[in-house]
Parts: sequence; C-alpha cells; structure tokens
Amino acid sequence: MLIDTNAYLGHWATRQLRHNTPDGLLRLMDRAGIDMACVSSAAAILYKNCQRGNEELAEAVAAHRDRFIPFAVLNPAYAAWQRDLAWCREVLGARGLRLYPAYHGYRLGDARCRELVTAADGLVISIPVRQVDYRQRHWLVDAPDVPLADIAALVAAHLEARFVILEGAGYLGSDLVKRATELPANYWLEISRPDAVYSDEIGGLLKALGAGRLVFGSGIPFKYPEPATLRLEVMRASEADKDLIRSGNLSALLGL
Amino acid sequence: MLISAHEHITWPASGRADDPDWAHDCALIEAADILGIATMACSCLAPRPSNPDTFRVANDRMAAAIVRFPGRVWGYAYVNPGYAREAIAEIDRCLAMEDMIGVKLYNEYKATDPAVRPVVEHCLALGAPILWHQGHCTDPLPDQPNISDAADLAWLANRYPELKLILAHIGGGGDWEWTIKQAAEAPTLYADLSGSVVDEGLVEMAVEYLGADRLLFGCDGSMCAGVGKLRGAQISDEDRRKIESETFLRLLGRSAPC
Repeated sequence: MLIDTNAYLGHWATRQLRHNTPDGLLRLMDRAGIDMACVSSAAAILYKNCQRGNEELAEAVAAHRDRFIPFAVLNPAYAAWQRDLAWCREVLGARGLRLYPAYHGYRLGDARCRELVTAADGLVISIPVRQVDYRQRHWLVDAPDVPLADIAALVAAHLEARFVILEGAGYLGSDLVKRATELPANYWLEISRPDAVYSDEIGGLLKALGAGRLVFGSGIPFKYPEPATLRLEVMRASEADKDLIRSGNLSALLGL
Repeated sequence: MLISAHEHITWPASGRADDPDWAHDCALIEAADILGIATMACSCLAPRPSNPDTFRVANDRMAAAIVRFPGRVWGYAYVNPGYAREAIAEIDRCLAMEDMIGVKLYNEYKATDPAVRPVVEHCLALGAPILWHQGHCTDPLPDQPNISDAADLAWLANRYPELKLILAHIGGGGDWEWTIKQAAEAPTLYADLSGSVVDEGLVEMAVEYLGADRLLFGCDGSMCAGVGKLRGAQISDEDRRKIESETFLRLLGRSAPC
C-alpha cells in the first residue's frame, strides 16, 4: 500500500497542470503505484475565497472516495472560515486541511491561525513549505517558503494537533530536527524533496527522527511522481521502515 | 545506459588538489552505482570568481578524480574566461589529459560579454564542448550578477553555430518554460535536464521544443530528481535512449564506456 500525502486536483493559475482531473490524477497514480492520495484543490490556493475550491474538490472526489482522501484549504484570514471548516468536515468529508500562510497573507504564529488549528481538532494539519519553487515564481505571486522555524513554533504550541509538513528540505539544520527532543512528537515530514542518496538527507532524517516520523508524498500533478517513488526505492531503510513511510504512519494518522 | 552530462567533483576544503578527503566524491560514485549511472561528466569548481591559481587547482583535483574513479568520471576543465591567456593555456593543458572532454564556464561573465570571446573561439577551434552555467529566475540573484540565461546562450550559439554549446540544468531552478522556449531560438544549442526541479511536463516540453537530439541527461547533484524525472517522462523509447546517453556521446565523438 502506497499513500501519497501530497497531491492536488484542479487548475493552477500560473502553470498548466496536465493531469489535474480526477481521471488524469488516477492515471498518474496508477503509473507510479500509488494506491491512495490526500488531495486538495490547487485552485483554492489562489482563490480569494478558497471555499469555492473546496466545493470543486467535493465534486471531483465524489466518485473516487476509495482512492482520494480529501483535504480542505482554509484561510484563517478570510471571512467565515469557521463556517467553511464545518462544511469541509460534514460535506467534503475532509480528513485534514492545508494551510498557505504565504499565499493567504498571515503568519503561522498569528492568533487567527492558532484559532483555526485549535478548531480543526481531529483533522491532520498539513503545511506545504512551498507550492512552487520561489526561483520560478510568477511575477505577480510573491509567496516565499514558509520558515521551518515558524512551523516548529506552531507544533510546539499545539500539543494536541497532528501536523504533516509538505515540500520541505533542509530539515536537518532546522529546529524541527535539531530541537526534536524538545518538541512534541506531533509532526511528520513528507519526503518529496530531500534526496535519498549522495546528500542523503533522508538518511539523516531516519537517524535523527526515525521512520515513524516520515511519510511518502510526491507533489502530483505539479511534479512527476517518479522521483519520489525512486527515493522510496533506494533509501537506506529496512522494508519495515519503508512500510511505515509508504502507508503505515499515514494510515495511523488518518485512522484508515 | 545513463551518462550524466552535468555533475561535480567537490572542491577540497583544504584548497589543495591532493587533499586526502574524497568522502563526498565517493558518495557521488555510490549514488551513481545505486541509480545505474555508468559515467558522469564532472567539473570541479573553485570558489568564484576564480583566478588562474585556483582554477588550476580545481582542474588538478578533477584530473585526480579521473584517476581515482577510472571510467566513472569524465572531466570538464573549469576556467575563468576573464583571464583569457591563462584560461586558454589551462584548457590546452587539461584537454591533453585522458577523459577530459570539454570546458565548464560558470558565472564570472555573461555569455554575451566580449571578454569570453577568446576562450569561446578557442573551444570552437578545438571542437571542445562548453557546458555553461545558467538560470532565468523571476528575481535577480544578488550573488550571481553575471549569470547567463537561455537568451544569452542562444545569442552566443547563433553567433557561433559550429560551437558545441550546452545550456546547463534546465531544471536548476528558475523559469524552465521560459528557458526551453528561449533555447529553442538557437538551433545548435544543446541543453542538459539536470537540477532539483521535477515539475511534471518539463522533459516532454524540452523534447517538444528542442528535440532529443539536443538534450542530455544529468543530475547536477540532485540524483533522484535527475533520474526520476527522466524515468517519469512520457517520451518515445528512441528519444529516451538519445537523452540517456546517445546525444551526449555523439556530441563528444566518443563511444559508450565499457
């Protein structure tokens, strides 16, 4: 079983995505051997009212609940997010939500963000460090990477919450690893960017945090899935540890 | 067979070519073993801007790597073209060595700067390929004010259509769609696919605009990214073989390593 914790459906405003329909994403998943994927709306990230993206997602995943695990995109700096959160729980059936502080104009430490994390009790809080490599950003969209120190401060402040960090790299030098023994063990790192050979950041993460804190993700359809599956293939880990990363950790997190 | 057109031997921390620490380079060879990369064309970069003293050390280190890892690494001679006389002498010294296959230019000068012409014209006369560091980022890179981009390299390629010019790392960070479209404006310009960017469709667009006869496989240190994006690309088997090694071997006039 392979579960992808980093997948998307829908349009992205600044670059064509070629496999962003349900059928297209399923073909990509089948090609890469991905059984299930946590999906959110790509369009919602740039919609002012991201709830419309959640509504589009509900329609897109309706016929494929066996493969797609819906995640909501919520903006605590926008009107009536509490109402949207309730809808995403009850109608979308969201198992988690994704936060985009750089795109939505707030910081993870803001009181309104803290309020959302508290209100999202029971949902996995997913934080993409980036959606797009900043070096190739659209000239109208200025969304730098979310500082790993801000994430470390958020996880420390919410012992009860469970966080999955997406699209990060350079973890080994960050508080998320260096201060891991001081922080609650309530966060998991997705490994679509760290390499598994040569620089071998994944090897360092396995030593520092253990396989129980890493989860598989690819970034489809923004990215090819194969670099991520290749990392899984070649990483220096036992099959038992790889199973945790493939699906074991995420299954437990999501209660699958 | 995978042959990488773009990798690096590590600049020794001591600044000495005979530094006994080869740990990073052994890790690179180990990664190539794991990923099935037969041979890697590498350069060793001195801190920039380099000068004749430092680029000679870098190339001595590169030569030592060729000896240490026989058949696994080929070398580019790295020079700063601003030191035209010394750079040309260094290119001649290096290309006389076995498995030194070309020249690496970095970001000391833009490809459109008249200062690079002596080195460029010397490479043209020798038939030596130049792998040229480049990038087109949305925001200027403050630490690389003279970095070239695909427009600069296309200009140079069109000025010297017989030059064997390779645009480095389409996936190295920056607007790869812009880079591919701009590179396509120069019909003799080659490009390598290396870099950490694994955006879906990158390889297919490069094949669409440039063709596999102008595209080279590479990682530039992002090993799983380099191999993975080519593995995932939806291209013909013929185009895949060309990118994996055939185009690069044809450019170099070499046969596949044993």
